[in-house]
Amino acid sequence: MNAILSVENVSKSYTGHKALDDVSIEVPRGAVYGLLGPNGAGKTTLIRVINRLTIADSGRVLLDGKTMSADDIFHIGYMPEERGLYKKMRVGEQAIFFARLKGLDKREAEHRLHTWFERLGLKDWWNRAVEDLSKGMAQKVQFISTVVHEPKLLIFDEPFSGFDPINANILKEEILGLRDRGATIIFSTHNMASVEEICDHITLINKSRNILSGSVDEIRRAAGGNTFEIMHRADDVTFRSAIEGIAEVLGESRGVVGGYTATKIHIARNEDVHDVIAHLNDRCQLRSMQEIMPSMNDIFIRAVNGTL
Amino acid sequence: MKKMFLIISREYSERARKKSFIITTLLTPILMIGIMIAPSLMMLYNTSDQKQIVVVDRSGLVADKLQSSDELLFMPHDNISKAEACKIYNEESGIFAILYIGSEVESRDSVQLITNASSSMMLESNITSQLNEIVEQEKLRKLNIDNLDEILAQVETNIALSTYINDGTGEEDSMESTSSDISYILSLVLGMMLYMIIILYGSMVLTSVVEEKSSRVLDVIVTSCTPFQIMMGKIMGIALVALTQIAIWAALVIAASKFLVPAILSEDVAATNDMMMQAMMGTIGNTAYIASLFAYMLLFILGGFLLYASLYAAAGSAVDSVQDGQQYNTIIMIPIILSIIVMMSVFNDPNSPIAFWFSMIPFTSPIVMIARIPFGIAAWEIWLSIGILYATFIFTTWLAAKIYRIGIFMHGKKPSWKELAQWLRMK
Repeated sequence: MNAILSVENVSKSYTGHKALDDVSIEVPRGAVYGLLGPNGAGKTTLIRVINRLTIADSGRVLLDGKTMSADDIFHIGYMPEERGLYKKMRVGEQAIFFARLKGLDKREAEHRLHTWFERLGLKDWWNRAVEDLSKGMAQKVQFISTVVHEPKLLIFDEPFSGFDPINANILKEEILGLRDRGATIIFSTHNMASVEEICDHITLINKSRNILSGSVDEIRRAAGGNTFEIMHRADDVTFRSAIEGIAEVLGESRGVVGGYTATKIHIARNEDVHDVIAHLNDRCQLRSMQEIMPSMNDIFIRAVNGTL
Repeated sequence: MKKMFLIISREYSERARKKSFIITTLLTPILMIGIMIAPSLMMLYNTSDQKQIVVVDRSGLVADKLQSSDELLFMPHDNISKAEACKIYNEESGIFAILYIGSEVESRDSVQLITNASSSMMLESNITSQLNEIVEQEKLRKLNIDNLDEILAQVETNIALSTYINDGTGEEDSMESTSSDISYILSLVLGMMLYMIIILYGSMVLTSVVEEKSSRVLDVIVTSCTPFQIMMGKIMGIALVALTQIAIWAALVIAASKFLVPAILSEDVAATNDMMMQAMMGTIGNTAYIASLFAYMLLFILGGFLLYASLYAAAGSAVDSVQDGQQYNTIIMIPIILSIIVMMSVFNDPNSPIAFWFSMIPFTSPIVMIARIPFGIAAWEIWLSIGILYATFIFTTWLAAKIYRIGIFMHGKKPSWKELAQWLRMK
């Protein structure tokens, strides 16, 4: 796999508390990579290790296949969860300061920032002090400061916290746009809906360990394991007897417009889907069959509770 | 280097543009002048009620010769016993005190001031000096000298001592004139200014590091530059603010020395006979001398500030809140306070071993040396002191950077001294 970033067997302990326990992740180039996990699982510690803000006790971090050096962090854009802006400074000046620190020259920085401010509706705030901004707006400023120099790797710690649904959506679009322009994005979140919509890959961290990693599709499919919804015209007894021994009915069936009934079934692991279809086709009139994928929310809860 | 310059300019412009900076810069000289003038103004307008003192004079020598003033009214009284006087002129009588004088004025415990309210040093010295003079006069009178007043007037003496530094010529015109009084005042003002600036701007470094750390701005910045650049940028930025302030003050004083003082000197002061005042105005009017003092002061302020700022930055990086920083702040303050104490002894003897050594030890040298300079110190001493100071600054900065680069990433409990020592050893 062409990984832009690999974390290998990283462990980190604080006095009396293990924050990361032998965690490894691989972030594919061009992916939107979600770091999920309950509060206190170690997501932020992992992000800080990647950013060299925290030194790991053991393990290593590779960027483009090479052990990360101090200079490499300049290619990373990082937005911490607790927003770091100078409160007294004016918004525009501050954004220019950060952009120039990242190596843009003054004119280029101004040009790009004006575009970004316009796009995110912050134009009128350019000359205001940061302390006058609402939380959401300050976060937008922080977001812009993080991405303005277009680094190849972006790391956001809880980017959606503090945003209303409309602004969260705007941010989501911007993140996808950055990916389309070639950036790789890592972000941590508890917001499962956003994970389904924009993540390609995830890692689920619980109690300092990586308990689940992979592409979102694969994980959902694996967790969904042979659950289907079948639209048919058969009474309950006939339907159940048709699949007896090879699959079981989940929950209640529901009636659908046009006289069809929708029934969820779970196919036993060693049975073939084709057999089930064949059995059903003999006995009832079928209209459609669709694989049901569990929501990331379900997977998250099941994984954390150890019932996946 | 470019990034450090960015940080310096941010730190500088954030502070130098603040209204509070502009106001303090312009107000401080006015305030200083105010402080100098205030005591005399206060004396002028300090009109407390006249205090009445009943004088019971058994010797018969003193009572009618005591001079009353705006503050004190002496009221001679018939001879009564002390006990009786105390009984009549108690607290309710409105009398401030009873001055009881025994029959032998000069014998022990013969003169007593029995007050109904707390007395003051001013009042007591007023009475004793009056009594001394009266008794002296009385003794002189007993010697039966003719024309006594005339003789006394002839005897009165007031010598003015002019001090020069020997330049081998012996010509008053070429030798530099000095005056310990003026040196004393200059040295006090310079020393105090240095003290103020180091404390003020030093703790500004501490506060600002702590704020940057706790607001997590640092987390964002360290992904763009190294901790050393951030620390030095901050220290240099704040140093520039301090220098700007001093430069403005220096410009004001030098302008005053060049234009204001000559104008005053030609009209009023030259006419007065007050040697001290003339010498003072002469020194302040000596523009080159004032400018050289400021030049030395800049060097010592810069060195002293940089030295202490690096310590303050290290302390700030190790803690999460300004309150936690207080403990370190106190320790950093110790040598500064010590300098002030030594500075006081400099006034007695600017060339004593204590004065010399403390003006060489880098932690006390800025304040002690700048206090010595107005007294006239050999150039090699000054430059040696500056050399040691700047060398130490490089060393402490190196040390501070080691603590800073780890401290800024540590959140939570305040590190112990042992942990700080570990950070120093970390690669």
